[in-house]
Amino acid sequence: MTQSFNYTILEEAISWIESGQQVALATVVQTWGSSPFQIGSKMIINEKGKFLGSVSGGCVETSVITECLELIKNKNSFKKIDFKVSNENAWDVGLACGGEMTVFIEQIN
Amino acid sequence: MKIETLKQIIKKNSLNEQFAIITNLSNGSSEIFKIGSSLSKNFINFKNEIENYYNLKKSGIINNTEIFIENYFKPVEVIIVGAVHITQYLIEFLKNLNFDITVIDPREYFVTKQKFQNIKIISKWPEEVFKKIRTDSNTALITLTHDPKIDEPALKHALKKKFFYIGALGSKKTHKNRCKRLKEDGFNNKEIGSIHGPIGLDIGGKSAPEIALSIVAQLVSERNKTIKFNIE
Repeated sequence: MTQSFNYTILEEAISWIESGQQVALATVVQTWGSSPFQIGSKMIINEKGKFLGSVSGGCVETSVITECLELIKNKNSFKKIDFKVSNENAWDVGLACGGEMTVFIEQIN
Repeated sequence: MKIETLKQIIKKNSLNEQFAIITNLSNGSSEIFKIGSSLSKNFINFKNEIENYYNLKKSGIINNTEIFIENYFKPVEVIIVGAVHITQYLIEFLKNLNFDITVIDPREYFVTKQKFQNIKIISKWPEEVFKKIRTDSNTALITLTHDPKIDEPALKHALKKKFFYIGALGSKKTHKNRCKRLKEDGFNNKEIGSIHGPIGLDIGGKSAPEIALSIVAQLVSERNKTIKFNIE
């Protein structure tokens, strides 16, 4: 659906790139169960780890940022990441809400 | 995604028309789609499925494919009659909830640009305004002047056009009298009953921001009931 705040994020992405920063865009492309964020939720990350927007209620942001930094560093163009229900071995990336989601990250160029 | 695609998205948004961003998750390519526009080789095999999701305004990964579609469409339009104190708080809430806002108030001294920055504000009588703007069952009306000669022409228009939400500020007594006048004007009980009056959910508030919050809560609840967003 249309989310006016998505535009703010996308406009900001353009201005980051035009000021010479490298930018990755993360988008929620699929959700199952009680995942709190809608399909289409977005976050942008620059090469220094500065970010704007959000893809979950804070559950997977750290992991998405790390993946985006890797993506930028290795000059890869995209990656699809699945986040599953949390378990005791995956404290840092688990979704405490019990949902599952897929996030697509891509470099903007 | 290419920066050119991003710029196109921003441009399309300012035109306020429906479009979709389609992404091939297996090769990372993405482009903007509209009905009638041609698809590149990355997407052409999925033309029917893409059109289907587009027409349903449905976003997500298309079944059994690696194609992600995200639909962008015109937000719900809210028309507020009365540039009063509550209106300022209403606008603050509505801005974050993805509504398009228009404020109408024929009383020029109420309409100051400083109070309503970046908002469409029209200092004319509602009946004049409704002759010029397009409204339908995707439109909401909030009347706040509680002056019958300003509010009621707007209410009548909204009832005729079957707005999905109609709310009118005023006490129970004011509302009762308003309903009586609408009945005399030929509206039936069902139509009159569709007006939320006194406006807003009962959260026990008295201050302007509390009233604005109660109106917004009611409006969002009605939007979620009646407007199909197909977000899954």
